[in-house]
Order: sequence, then C-alpha cells, then structure tokens
Amino acid sequence: MDSHLKKYGQLIISLSGVVAVWWLVSGLGLVNQNLFPTPPQVLAAAVELYRDGVLISDLQISLKRAAIGFTIGATLGVLVGLLTARVFAVSLLLEPFLTLLRPIPAIALVPIAIVWFGIGEGSKYFVIAYTVFLAVWLNTHAGASSVASTYIRAARSLGANRFREFFEVVVPAAAPHIVVGLRLGAALAFLSLVAAELSGASSGIGFRLQDARQFIQTDRMFVGLIQLGILGALLDSVFVLISRRLVHWESA
Amino acid sequence: MMQAALNLVVEPHSMPRTELGRIDVEGAAVSFKGPKGKRIEALAPTDLVIEPGSFVSLIGPSGCGKSTLLNAVGGFVPLSEGTIRLDGEPVTGINPDVGVVFQQYALFPWFTALGNVMFALKRFRLSKEERRDRAMAALKEVGLEGREANYPGQLSGGMRQRVALARTFVTSPKVLLMDEPFGALDAQTRVVMHEILLRVWEAHKATVIFVTHDVDEALILSDRAHIMSAGPGRIIETMEITDDRPRRAHQVTESFLRNRNHIIGLLRQPGADDH
Repeated sequence: MDSHLKKYGQLIISLSGVVAVWWLVSGLGLVNQNLFPTPPQVLAAAVELYRDGVLISDLQISLKRAAIGFTIGATLGVLVGLLTARVFAVSLLLEPFLTLLRPIPAIALVPIAIVWFGIGEGSKYFVIAYTVFLAVWLNTHAGASSVASTYIRAARSLGANRFREFFEVVVPAAAPHIVVGLRLGAALAFLSLVAAELSGASSGIGFRLQDARQFIQTDRMFVGLIQLGILGALLDSVFVLISRRLVHWESA
Repeated sequence: MMQAALNLVVEPHSMPRTELGRIDVEGAAVSFKGPKGKRIEALAPTDLVIEPGSFVSLIGPSGCGKSTLLNAVGGFVPLSEGTIRLDGEPVTGINPDVGVVFQQYALFPWFTALGNVMFALKRFRLSKEERRDRAMAALKEVGLEGREANYPGQLSGGMRQRVALARTFVTSPKVLLMDEPFGALDAQTRVVMHEILLRVWEAHKATVIFVTHDVDEALILSDRAHIMSAGPGRIIETMEITDDRPRRAHQVTESFLRNRNHIIGLLRQPGADDH
C-alpha cells in the first residue's frame, strides 16, 4: 500500500514537472509555437481528433496490428527458439541464418514487405511479426540452451522420458528467459508498428503522425507521440504483472 | 524442528524385496581430454564391491575422484576402462533404479514439494490419487507434513533436501547416490538430516553411496568408508565402521576418535591432498 502510494506519487510529480517545463518553454514564446505547441493546444488537438472519431479508431487499428503481429511472431519465436536450443539438427540448419537476420532492422523490411504483401494489413503484420520473432527467438534460445544440467540429470534419473523432460523441465526452466523475450518483443512490436505505418498506411497512429506532417500540425503529432508513450508504458506494466504470475518461482 | 525429526514414525513402503543393490566395480577408470589434448585421469582403475543394503562413504579432498566414481555408478559419466555392474548388469547409462540426491538441491522450482515428489512416480502406471497418496506419505516420512503445497523457494535448505530425499526414496530405488548432499547446510540442520537419512535408509534398505569431505559425517553415517586420494583419483584405504548406531559427534566413543584420527592422518599425508 505504502509502496503503491510512493509509486503513484512519484509518477504524478515527475509528469507534472515535465508538463510545467514544457508549458513554460512553449508559453513564453522562446520557441515558435507552430513548431512546439503548448499543452492546451495539444489537448485541444486531442479533443478534436476524438470528436472526429479517429483518435479511438487509430488506437484500435494500431493495437490490432501490434497484437496480431506480436502473436504470430511470439508463437514462432518460442517454437523455433526451443527447437534451435534443444534439437541439434535444427540448430545446425537455422542458427547461422537467424544470426544473419538479426542485424537487419525492421524498418529496412518495410519496402520489401509492401512489395510482397501490398499496402494492406499483411505488410504490417509481417514487419511486426518479424521483429517480435527475432527478439523472442533469441531469448528463448538462450534460456532453453542454458538449462542447468542438474535439472536434466535429475529428470532422467527420476525416469522421465524425452517428452516429459522437454515439457516438464526444459520449458519451465526456460520460461523466465521466454518471458523476458516476450516483454522485449512487445516493446519492439510498437517500434516496428510505427515504422510500418509511417509509409504505406491509411490509418493508425503512425499514419496520423505522417498525415499531420503534411500540414505541419505539430499539436496533432504530439497527440500521437503521447498516445504511443502511454500505450507502450501500459502494455509493459501489464506484461510485468503477467510474467510475475507466470514465473512466480523466480522472485521467490 | 529437531524434535519433530527425532520423533518421526517410519512407514516402510510396501514393495517387498530380496537383497538387491549390489555394486561391483571392476577395474573401472575414468579419464577425459584436458586442455592441449592431454588425457587427465580422474579415476585410476578401481576395484570395489558394495554389498546390498550397505551404507558406504567415499571421502577425500577435492579432485580425488569421489564424485567421478559416484557419477560413473550413476551412469552420468562413461568409463574409459573396466565395468561397473549393478546386480550383475553392466551400467550403461542413467538408470531410474538408481536414485540420486544432488549437491545443489536440483528440485524443480516450478513444482511444489508435492509436485516434485509426484514427478518421480509418473513413470509408473499409477492412478493420480495413488501417486498423490504415495507422495504425501513420502513427505510425511521426512517430516514435511503440511508443507506439500510450498514451492522450493519457500522452504529452508534443510527442508529442500528433505524433499529431494523423499523424491528419491518414493520409488524405492535399489541404490541411492548422494554427492555431498548436506554440504550447504548448517551443523544443526545436518544432525537432523543425518537422523532422517538413517531412518529412511533403514526403512527402505537401499544401498547408499555417500560422497563427503567431512570425516565426522562419514563416521556417523556409514558401515564402511573408502578413503580416497588425488593425482590420480584412487582409493587408498577402506575402513569398517562397526560402532552401534546412533552415533553422535558430540558423544564420541574411543573407536570413533581412533578412526577419525586415522582418516585425518591419511588425508594429511603428502600427496594425499591436491591443494
């Protein structure tokens, strides 16, 4: 209770400090208000976007893209990660290839994704899923290949077959790493979402940012940025909450 | 906690058994490739007979091959020479008839105490109720009644090792291998663990091989102690311990002292220690 109060207190103080400085800098006319809007201007832009209905619909479409892309990427990442870590043949075939893919940033994939999947939803899912997949694969692989040998020895000497060894020992032992990968993946899903929406989209938060640029509506851009910040932070807290339950023995 | 452990009621499991758990070590040696391709002899060719149902300690400094010998019996490391037989059958790999209690607890932290013990029973065709009942009985036997729903992270070191003991004994293995199982526990908890181990051992009549570097621990627990030395790892002397149980480190008999002085003397000899 006390720590909760402290946490929220800290949040409120920190945020109001930032808004105060922002207001001061923009309100005193130190900078051009067309380039750096004041908090009330941004609020007004948000209300306007809300009245137009695009604030919520952008949020919905962006969340949907992130969710679908994340689900595809995370599922593949966990499966492939477990296989490359525990099945020698798969690791031999896939690991070098995946290591080559790793340094390619998501944004570099946008042009080819548009050619392959068009400017519809497919290209967005692809770019997001790709980014999430790499993060989740990497962490799952690390977790599943570093399972303590005493766990494996214990499982075998207790008569567990390979199937049980995998599902009752390797997977839970790797779970803390997998959860870290999923959390990182969720953050990256947002990053690549915006990358995908900045070009070749007709809706979503990223599109709205790009759209506002055409008319130099910096207040609208600020709305989009704040939306992304809040959404990302909320999502991360949800992930922390879920992962604490999922791998409860880690904190014990 | 100590009182509870001393008043334990021992409930032997049903499975009747003839004298099983004989181990014949015949010229067994273990070596492995070290850096620069040089072969390192972890265990020189060793001959050893371990009688069914006996409690045997392997004692010596680190590097003397005591864990290597134990791991070879468990099928965890391959032999480079010789054979090890369990009831006449050569050991070729990990065998669920050989129970192991590891140095680090090796309990699965994602399962409860009960879940850890039930894990060992899954290879038998038992109903879930029966598995549960047997696991509960095993936990009761080590004095952990009421702790079955706790995760290992919520238990003390001594309690964790008791869960490990229950997990191993619940399937009534013929042989139990213990690699410095109480090394991380404080002296008081150790005394309790020794009591529990001896009670459970007497109830189940498994052959126990117990690795330790603690001379008192070997003298308190075992029927026979094999004193080992490093460079290469080998048995340098075997000692019969005939004192009646229970033996206590704070009420030492004359023979206990004599044995302890003898072993410490052996371990002090130049070349017997690798430090």
